[in-house]
Amino acid sequence: MTISHAVLTTGLLLTLIGMWGMLTQRNILRIIIGFALMGTGSHIVIVAVGYVANGTAPIIDDALPLSEAAARAVDPVPSALAVTAIVIGLAVTAVMLAFAIRLYGAKKSLSIDAFADSKW
Amino acid sequence: MTDLIGSIIVFIGAVFLFSAGLGMFRMPDALSRIHAGTKASTLGNTLVLVGIAIYQPEWSLKVLVIVYFVLMTNPISSHALAHAAYTLRGRLVPSRVFGEDDACDREDGQ
Amino acid sequence: MMRLAAAACLLLALGAIFATISLDFRERTALPPLAAAYVEMVPRELGAPNVITGILLNYRAFDTIGEVAVLFMVAAGIGLLLGPGRKPKDAGRPGDAARDESEPEPSTEIVRNGADVMVPLIALFAVYIVLHGHLGPGGGFQGGAVVASCVLLMLLARPDYRIRLAQLSVAESLAGVFIVLAGMAGLVFAGGFLDSRVLPLGEFGTLFSAGAIPILSVLLGTKVGCELSVIIERFRAWGR
Repeated sequence: MTISHAVLTTGLLLTLIGMWGMLTQRNILRIIIGFALMGTGSHIVIVAVGYVANGTAPIIDDALPLSEAAARAVDPVPSALAVTAIVIGLAVTAVMLAFAIRLYGAKKSLSIDAFADSKW
Repeated sequence: MTDLIGSIIVFIGAVFLFSAGLGMFRMPDALSRIHAGTKASTLGNTLVLVGIAIYQPEWSLKVLVIVYFVLMTNPISSHALAHAAYTLRGRLVPSRVFGEDDACDREDGQ
Repeated sequence: MMRLAAAACLLLALGAIFATISLDFRERTALPPLAAAYVEMVPRELGAPNVITGILLNYRAFDTIGEVAVLFMVAAGIGLLLGPGRKPKDAGRPGDAARDESEPEPSTEIVRNGADVMVPLIALFAVYIVLHGHLGPGGGFQGGAVVASCVLLMLLARPDYRIRLAQLSVAESLAGVFIVLAGMAGLVFAGGFLDSRVLPLGEFGTLFSAGAIPILSVLLGTKVGCELSVIIERFRAWGR
């Protein structure tokens, strides 16, 4: 059970918990929190996959001189993907919150059961 | 030896952070939840950072600056939340935890 | 009940798949060839100690522009959803007679004094993160988020603090235009679109080094900070 194994399991667990929250909760804000949790879990999984054993961050400074960079650095590409993914997750959460505000303004209720009349 | 002490302090901080989450989940009322969330999580953060400083003594100054920022911002933000919760509660929802205090507090113009 | 049962089945199935992923996971012992090439190329060719910023702002800079476009669309979409003005049928709500809707709630003394101490520090920290994106962890997106948190603190502490949405939108659009212009300069003067070698590489590890990467970081930080501030202001001002 290595470090990246524990981090990967934590990320997958967070994704499952977020998905559970999105599927079973009735309050709109809790659904949005579940979505954010799912996103955070996926970001952790992305970064955990890129870990190299006994590696350190891919930044060349006193802790990682240039000569041993290729041997000891962690994979930088998943970290770059994670930066992009976090920003997109923030943007989608902002749009979801704007929708929640408009839904509350329309029906004065934060439960998605109040919008059930639009189902078949 | 310092490794062991630092790790124990980090673990105690993690226990406090877990109890902060548990308290926010189990408390019945908004103000109690804010109370549980801020006190326990600020202490948990501080203990984790102090444990890290013991683990790596050359980072002590940076850790001190971080602890200062945490202690400055966490209570202020929770105060803003609690003030908003109390003000909105005073206008919209009759609270079931504060009984007779509502009558006393409402006369100062809330 | 059917809903809960279906959700439970889905979660159990996904949990089984995730368990197989987690059990078969082997930690890497060496970098894959692409990552090894990046870790070796970025300090040598771009002069940037931070490999991730070198990837995001030079080798994969087109994806960064796509992300900037997504943020711009989100800001525009929230401007459409939470647009200006109140809906007329909200004006007659009976419960708000005691509360003047247009008068913002005064903030308490603790928040005001705390903000007086923290806002300069947060602003300085945001500028530091943006400028040192190529030297350590940081960059445009991270610094832009800290700028937006500084604006949020100002909004909370001083309720009469008004954000000029028009000027922020102009600033954000100008930053986007300059990013594309920098990209085209890279196309003309250096290796390709958004290549950061239009400016001299400088000495490794100093602030003014790594070509155009600090300039791109500043433009990105401005754009993201303005966008997030506009989003926060739209959230605050809706229904008021």
